[in-house]
Amino acid sequence: MPETPAAQPDRRRRAAGAHSPATHFFAGPDEVELAEVDLLDESTPPASLWKDAWIKLRRRPLFLVSAGLIVLILAVALFPGLFSKADMNTCYLADSLKGPAPGHPFGFDLQGCDIYARVIHGARPSVLVGVLAMLSVLVLGGAIGAIAGYYGKWADAILSRVGDIFFAIPTVLAAIVFLQSMRDRAGVMGVVVVLAAFGWPQMARITRSAVLAVRGADFVTAARALGVSRTKILLRHVMPNAASPMIVTATVSLGTYIVAEATLSFLGLGLPITMRSWGWQIGAAKDVLRHSPEVLLWPAGALAITVLAFIMLGDAVKDALDPKARR
Amino acid sequence: MAVVGALAAAALALGACSNNSDGGDGGDAGKDASAGIIKVNRTEPQNPLISTNTNEVGGGWILDMIFSGLAYYTADGSTELDVAESIESEDTINWTIKLKPDQKFTNGDPVDADSFINAWNYGASVMNDQLQNSFFVEIKGYEDVNKMIDSGEKNEDGTAKLIPDPDQGQELSGLVKVDDLTFTVELSNPDPDFTLRLGYSAYYPMPISAFDDMEAFGQAPASNGPYKLASDDAWEHNVKIDLVANPDYTGPRKAQNGGITFVFYETVEAAYQDLLSGQLDIVDSVPDFKTFEQDLGERAVNQASATFQAFTVPDRLAHFGGEEGKLRRQAISMAIDRAAITETIFSGTRTPAKDFTSPVMPGYSDSIPGNEVLEYNEAKAKELWAQADAISPWEGTFQIAYNADGGHADWVEAVLNSIHNTLGVETAPAPYPTFQESRTAITDRTIQTPFRSGWQADYPSLYNYLQPLYGTGGGANDADYSNKTFDDLLVQGLAQATPAEAAKYYNQAQELVLEDLPAIPLWYANVTAGYSENVGNVIFGWNQVPLLYQVTTK
Repeated sequence: MPETPAAQPDRRRRAAGAHSPATHFFAGPDEVELAEVDLLDESTPPASLWKDAWIKLRRRPLFLVSAGLIVLILAVALFPGLFSKADMNTCYLADSLKGPAPGHPFGFDLQGCDIYARVIHGARPSVLVGVLAMLSVLVLGGAIGAIAGYYGKWADAILSRVGDIFFAIPTVLAAIVFLQSMRDRAGVMGVVVVLAAFGWPQMARITRSAVLAVRGADFVTAARALGVSRTKILLRHVMPNAASPMIVTATVSLGTYIVAEATLSFLGLGLPITMRSWGWQIGAAKDVLRHSPEVLLWPAGALAITVLAFIMLGDAVKDALDPKARR
Repeated sequence: MAVVGALAAAALALGACSNNSDGGDGGDAGKDASAGIIKVNRTEPQNPLISTNTNEVGGGWILDMIFSGLAYYTADGSTELDVAESIESEDTINWTIKLKPDQKFTNGDPVDADSFINAWNYGASVMNDQLQNSFFVEIKGYEDVNKMIDSGEKNEDGTAKLIPDPDQGQELSGLVKVDDLTFTVELSNPDPDFTLRLGYSAYYPMPISAFDDMEAFGQAPASNGPYKLASDDAWEHNVKIDLVANPDYTGPRKAQNGGITFVFYETVEAAYQDLLSGQLDIVDSVPDFKTFEQDLGERAVNQASATFQAFTVPDRLAHFGGEEGKLRRQAISMAIDRAAITETIFSGTRTPAKDFTSPVMPGYSDSIPGNEVLEYNEAKAKELWAQADAISPWEGTFQIAYNADGGHADWVEAVLNSIHNTLGVETAPAPYPTFQESRTAITDRTIQTPFRSGWQADYPSLYNYLQPLYGTGGGANDADYSNKTFDDLLVQGLAQATPAEAAKYYNQAQELVLEDLPAIPLWYANVTAGYSENVGNVIFGWNQVPLLYQVTTK
């Protein structure tokens, strides 16, 4: 169990030398088998859900591969210049649709732009939108779900119904409608806001059920008995214990938000065209798909790998945190 | 001088439309129950279907199908009489127009002299604020129905804000009804080409009932052409419009199919995919010039046309006014490698421009003095740009606006890259989702970037390319270009007896716009189109409009 004041096991104080049998003529409480089992080894730090999960995770190949990919993707998104020296906006028609050349490992697109440079530079907008949308949903959906689950009664009734209404609206459809009307002014924040505004209900539902499960726990009752305020209980005791399903959902959904951004950019509705996100690159490449399909494969492949990495990570974290799978 | 019977064709189709479409007109099969419906791609019309307020091909082609004017244009560009029985003039100023008897609109209203006089008065009066207003400028009395007065308020730039004078008449004094089927037109100046214009949609008639409720009329017009709307709800906005053959039409363009459904597409790609899968019968443009002939075989169309493409850089934009603007336009023009772009992006389905018209026009010249500004010349471009920078240093990003539903993204990118590579300025495309939205921003003058433009000729005359686009007050003069010498040369050209004589003046006028470059010419377009296995007899005219009324179904 995670650490909470109410759940803190009694820690029996004992001196380091207490183990020595020489000072006793009969089996002391420390020497019986039961005591060995019960013994708390104070030389190790206290166990926790997160620590256990981490120990488990770092042995899993799925986690190692996905984490490695994500580190790479983040590095590309943060420092594209390290990976590609070529300017993605220097395009010569003479190079149009040419194959790989020294310094241009992926070849050139219809406009004669270096595909490798564009794929590298396309990572930032995609990852940025994904991360920001995920964080916004985490905060918005988390807050709404926590309030609904913890306070219950009419707050739950209202917030859950509102969530149901939003849940019934497909996120991408809603985003198309809104972005169409705020065209040009959208930018990164516009896309993030629209995705968060219609993506929060799932997070709210997950949070609500997690909070409901924790709300009745003994340590919550104990904290209340000690006179801790309700808000403090929610923030200090309930939320940390409800966090694991939220984090799993958020990690998996990060991938889906990157896909949503690519979908919108493909449709010409997402990020400004000058950001050259992967979705836009895929959209541009479809025009030459009939005779030069390889132009499409590079940005599409980068998008697929990124999304896969986040979904795999979410999966690995879920397995590690799942109480049923714990030994 | 008398002009009777066959006239040279005239119809100005506003070109902002490389998004070619298919328009057509009824043929001679009569009402044939077995004749099927043909499905044709189009874009949603910018405005309601009012002939005097439609200057783009989205709505223009629908109007051409459902209305008949005094004349119409055949595939080779010649003009034939449609509603008119004769159009005559002794002096090319006073014209007498006689109509064929017993013609009706679909609501039963007669097609008579009043239906033309009323429609033209409506289009000409400034009070009605019609987009095609300038097509009536030649008719006597135009000034008297276009009086503007000072409103007392100021525009943003400090000039006096003008509003229409509420006390003016609304009828052109040059239009006089003789009897039900005869009226006369008096022009302000002689114009031997007047009849060439009369097949254009701006001059179509309107039934008397239209003026009771113009809004309702624009949604479901009662019409007199080879086709009519299938029902009052036939126009499903942003989806399609259903036309069926008009059994009461007695003119020469009798429909040879049962009807036309214009399906509105947001992208050329979607339309083309539907063509390949048999959901659509005719597309007027294709997304991929490399493969369409392979995909479609004999059903592919690739032929020369009269479409001129450019992008307009209005004077009013920052850094594009006065002498600095002139230098910058020339530099930009010389920074564009037209040959490489037409070859790579268009696979040779465009020809680099040498002037502001089209090679299929009589009087066209590829050697107008000053047209070296249309040649790619990196050194000269840099030099001119530097001179402009000396006047006022460039700042910001050079953009070109275009409509994303017309397949323009690739060439806009290529042109911008060429400018970026040559001049070193930052460039960016500025897409509008639909043709309608881009045209609205352009006609409102709210657009703050250069924008793509084009012109699809409707009758074979250089004048047709020059006056509407660059003449002072021209109907499609989106740059608000004004040059007195240019206007005078056009007027002199009009007064010449033969097209060859007139062309000298027109090409002289072109020397002026080649220097000022209110629009930067890019290339002339071929018509690249295709049709499905379900239809036959698909013939594209010289102006890249298919004669839809002749299309047969299988």
